[in-house]
Amino acid sequence: MSLLRPVIEKIAKIYPMAKRYLHAFHGGVFPQYNKELSANQPVREQIIPTKLILPLQQQVGLPAEVLVKVGESVKKNQLLAQSPKDPKKALVVPVHAPTSGVIRAIEPATLAHPSGLQDMAIILEPDGKNTTIDNALKVSKQTIETPDQLKDILFHAGIIGMGGAGFPTYAKIPSRPGQIHTLLINGAECEPFITCDDLLMQTHAYEIVQGALITANALGSSKIICGIESNKPTAIKAMTNAAKDTIVEIKVVESVYPMGGQKQLTLELTGIEMPHKVHAVDIGLLMMNVATFAAIYRAVMFGEPLTSRMVTVSGLGLNKPFNTIAMIGTPFSELAQAAEPKTKLNYPLIMGGPMMGVKVKSNDVPISKTTNCVLANPPEPVDMQMPCIRCGQCMDACPVNLLPQQMYFYAQAHEYDKVEKLNVADCIECGCCSFVCPSHIPLVQYYRHSKSEIREIHAEQKAVDLAKERHEFKMARIEREKAEREARLKAKKEAVKKQASAPKDPTTETKKPSKGAASAAAVAARAAAAKRAAKAKTEDSPVTEKAIPSARLKAIEAAKKATQQSAQQDFEQGSEKTTDPKVAARNAAMLAAKKRAQAKKAAVSSDESTASENEAMPKKDPKQAAKQAAILAAQKRAKAKAASSGTGSETKPDPKKSAQQTAQQTAQQTAQQTAQQTAQQTAQQTPEEATMQTAETTIVDLTVATPETDASRKEAARKATKEAAKLAAKKRADEARAAKQQAQIEAQALAEQTGDIDPIKAKREKAMQAARERAALRKAQKNQNSDDPEST
Amino acid sequence: MIEAVLIFLGLAILFGLLLGYASIRFKVEGNPMAEQIDKILPQTQCGQCGFPGCKPYAEALANGETEVNLCIPGGNEVMIKISEITGLEPKEMDEAAAEAKPKETAYINEDLCIGCVLCIKECPVDAILGATKLMHTVIQQECTGCEKCVPVCPVDCIEMLPENVTPKNWKWPEPVVVEKASK
Repeated sequence: MSLLRPVIEKIAKIYPMAKRYLHAFHGGVFPQYNKELSANQPVREQIIPTKLILPLQQQVGLPAEVLVKVGESVKKNQLLAQSPKDPKKALVVPVHAPTSGVIRAIEPATLAHPSGLQDMAIILEPDGKNTTIDNALKVSKQTIETPDQLKDILFHAGIIGMGGAGFPTYAKIPSRPGQIHTLLINGAECEPFITCDDLLMQTHAYEIVQGALITANALGSSKIICGIESNKPTAIKAMTNAAKDTIVEIKVVESVYPMGGQKQLTLELTGIEMPHKVHAVDIGLLMMNVATFAAIYRAVMFGEPLTSRMVTVSGLGLNKPFNTIAMIGTPFSELAQAAEPKTKLNYPLIMGGPMMGVKVKSNDVPISKTTNCVLANPPEPVDMQMPCIRCGQCMDACPVNLLPQQMYFYAQAHEYDKVEKLNVADCIECGCCSFVCPSHIPLVQYYRHSKSEIREIHAEQKAVDLAKERHEFKMARIEREKAEREARLKAKKEAVKKQASAPKDPTTETKKPSKGAASAAAVAARAAAAKRAAKAKTEDSPVTEKAIPSARLKAIEAAKKATQQSAQQDFEQGSEKTTDPKVAARNAAMLAAKKRAQAKKAAVSSDESTASENEAMPKKDPKQAAKQAAILAAQKRAKAKAASSGTGSETKPDPKKSAQQTAQQTAQQTAQQTAQQTAQQTAQQTPEEATMQTAETTIVDLTVATPETDASRKEAARKATKEAAKLAAKKRADEARAAKQQAQIEAQALAEQTGDIDPIKAKREKAMQAARERAALRKAQKNQNSDDPEST
Repeated sequence: MIEAVLIFLGLAILFGLLLGYASIRFKVEGNPMAEQIDKILPQTQCGQCGFPGCKPYAEALANGETEVNLCIPGGNEVMIKISEITGLEPKEMDEAAAEAKPKETAYINEDLCIGCVLCIKECPVDAILGATKLMHTVIQQECTGCEKCVPVCPVDCIEMLPENVTPKNWKWPEPVVVEKASK
């Protein structure tokens, strides 16, 4: 290379682009640097502005939380805002006071951002005293041995990459010691007009070198290379002096734009070309700006947070361009005014250099930690944009080896997916393509727009995926809830069934007042259902049924039906032929009723009274039956009395009349009335209650009657009781037979009806049948009970 | 002559077997077209197409049972993509849907909210948070802007607002072509 250099320099006089052969990376341009405007001026004394604007949010990460109040006096280096939670995850950078003063407001202020958007900022009014908190970060001067120690200090100092990107330095540094083998110091500063790094190297070379050494020590790096462009001889000299007898190696690199780009300088210094989508840290390299190293030194050694930085105030519109260590938050306009503008500053200032810088929307925007230059270039006439002539100069100039022309075409056609495929994401927005374009096409603007669009497309895609996922989840949830509800209902029904099967024992059933039993059953069923539901929630039981009304209700209904059926007392036969389980149940009930009627008939006929012959007629309803029974009892008593008193009783066709007459005759009115009343009451009440009532009243009746009855009556009663007991036994036998029969019918019916229906359904049907059967049985027994006492 | 017939017969049998095998071995499960369409639909799950979500619409389209121009949030762009995939004739969108509007999300005026949970039930992506008789709020990141919650609100406290522009989501404007030099 050294041999070729004189040759290339000679060719460059005829063909300037021949200079591109002198550096390692592709392309690059050689703009008018204009660095001498500010580079030869001494660093100006710090300007204390009238107000400082401190945005809560830095370029990267989330906004910090304010720790101070409006009206509060603060000292220099005081912490003003920090994240309350784990700030390292959200990349929150703390904000410190650059000077002492009073917090005037916390309000939205225009950001130094191309959008000109507003965001919350702390407005600090300096008091000019510059009262300082020394060692605000409370560092001890011990050497830093681990990356974590360094990271902690850097985080609290609020140090971010001061070259341009503004990525928090603590987040950039890897925690594993020894991961970084080579530390790179970026002192290239390739943008025209900007001289802040040049001046910093000239004046603070020791700090930079020491900062680099501290970092290298903490990270376990063995090599430090500093790249400085050849157009900064003073800085090179200062840095070489400072780096004497250290591991810092100063390398002079070609003056070519964009030498200061991270990837370009890395290639130049180490010969390593950074792969696509790989961070420098992954390949053991870490590059930081000279200003960052100086800030690290001040933070580690003196506990000073980052509150000021070297800024170039330059431009063709200024009489006295200069460099100064400006406080973070100083408005652009105050710095520009200090440089004595040639004309009134009625044009937008530029943040950064002329190649990559952006025009700010308001000249009062504050200096941020990444602002290296305030440029005041009076607006120039805009060159007419011509169509692309496909000269390919942009492609030759591109330092990243992209295809600017292709990307431009696709960006114009809004085919952003194709722009993305051409790796627009790798574009460093250096502006070389726009600079060389003979048609004056603002190519970088197209790529910036494309990048925004691509980012939005990706965000949208993410949102779409999220929406899809959430919608599918919601549908699945609704489905699952439906299944759970059905399972719960099923469980409840089963519980009721179980409960219903519990009082199957006829003795307990008959003894229990049925109303109480029903309510108890309901309670038990509810409890069991709740238990089942809780269980069913966890297990995903298969759903077999549609929503059914409460099983309890159904049971009650079945009971009612059975009652009605038994009340009908239909004597019709042919229940064997029925196929419907319902009909079978009804038939079972009918059978029971029939049996009861027969039992009654038998009881009546077995009675010695002759009148009983014609009254064992099929009764229309239980009311009448009860009435009749009561009358019969009265009659019997009357007859017994009459027999004892020696009066003969005549057989009458109408039993009621005869009973009444007999009663009148025998002056047994009280007994009869009681009986009748009882009968009427019983008839009016529900069958279940009737059982109880009848039992009670019969007892009452008996007690009333007892003093008046004689031995013969007693004997008759005993006989009747005996007969009733016999009948009951017979009836039970009949019932058992009927049940058997019914079961047969059921089986038949099921076989016919269900056929191919799944076993669960069959089971359910069977359970329902059983419930109905039980209801019928109970009813029958109750009726029998009510018959028994009456017949006595 | 006979050799040629035999050769071709043999080839016919061979290829027949090959095709038969391939149709079994490389059988495609489901309808790939529905998947494809579902991918380009905006997934707002708004139901403006008359189907209960984006997927049912995609399936109906794949089966050729419906029109291509029903996706209102997708607009013309999606309609054209659908017609490309399905091979159906592109159709004019309704006037209201033709113009693309910026993405809006639902905001609940929390002072007016009575906690009726009606909007929660309506939201296709569960982006509304709240409970009975308690204030509701919308999780902005998850709101698809389907506007389903707006009509169901009994106190009319939900409004659709465009997304806030922050430095994070701000977009560089597209360069305007300068037609004349201002010299």
